[in-house]
Amino acid sequence: MIHDYLSLSILLFCLGILGVISRRNVFTVFMSVELMLNAANLAFIALARLHENMDGHVLAMLVMAVAAAEAALALAVVILLHKHTGKVDTNVFSLLKG
Amino acid sequence: MLSQWLFYAFATVSVLGALGLILSRHPMNGALWFVVTLVSLAGLYSLLSASLLFALQLIVYAGAIMSLIIFIIMFLNIQPADIPDEKGKWAYLLGGCLAVIPIGLLLLKIVSSLPEGDVDIVGNGFGQVKSVGLVLFRDWLLPFEIVSILLLVALVGAVVLAGKKEMTQ
Repeated sequence: MIHDYLSLSILLFCLGILGVISRRNVFTVFMSVELMLNAANLAFIALARLHENMDGHVLAMLVMAVAAAEAALALAVVILLHKHTGKVDTNVFSLLKG
Repeated sequence: MLSQWLFYAFATVSVLGALGLILSRHPMNGALWFVVTLVSLAGLYSLLSASLLFALQLIVYAGAIMSLIIFIIMFLNIQPADIPDEKGKWAYLLGGCLAVIPIGLLLLKIVSSLPEGDVDIVGNGFGQVKSVGLVLFRDWLLPFEIVSILLLVALVGAVVLAGKKEMTQ
């Protein structure tokens, strides 16, 4: 049963990679990164259940905190870039010169 | 057997949500699909007897982080004309599948070499607030403090970045 959980985590991670490399909307790219973090969390918790050891739960909590910090900073940067260019296209954001 | 059926239901819903995220055109639709994924992942955490993580996933991820993202998407008031027209989306998806599938198969191979275990509910406080808190404050105290500093830095950085009146020349 643990193998099914880990396989689901791999599938979600691959879907996140696909979202990052195939989309140009900056919000979709950002949420695909969040999807990859969630897939990693699922793997942590499944392995914690496999070994009956709670270090995986603590790691998942730390990953959530890092995701919250990343969300705050990334959305601030997106607001700033949207003020400058009026777009949400990652191709436009490839030139970060202010 | 009920837990197995629940796993398949939650897994299907989470994969559907992820597909909706990476295929929907407007970011608001993608965000709402992603909330579906997050809630079904919370269900999977509860099946793995991680009750604290179940609550945190619902409160912090599906509640706080996603409401922040949805708030910012609404705040920027994205019109259909502002959305980038992704002409090569399907080509990129196909090429991405070609690149990702070997990695996924390799990881599946690694997973199949791990020992298999059942996922019955474990007793003696596994995954509950008290026992996770004991592990957190005994073995992971330094990472916990570092994460608190990281959150403070991210807070100050977000205020400085987004609250700027005008860019100085």
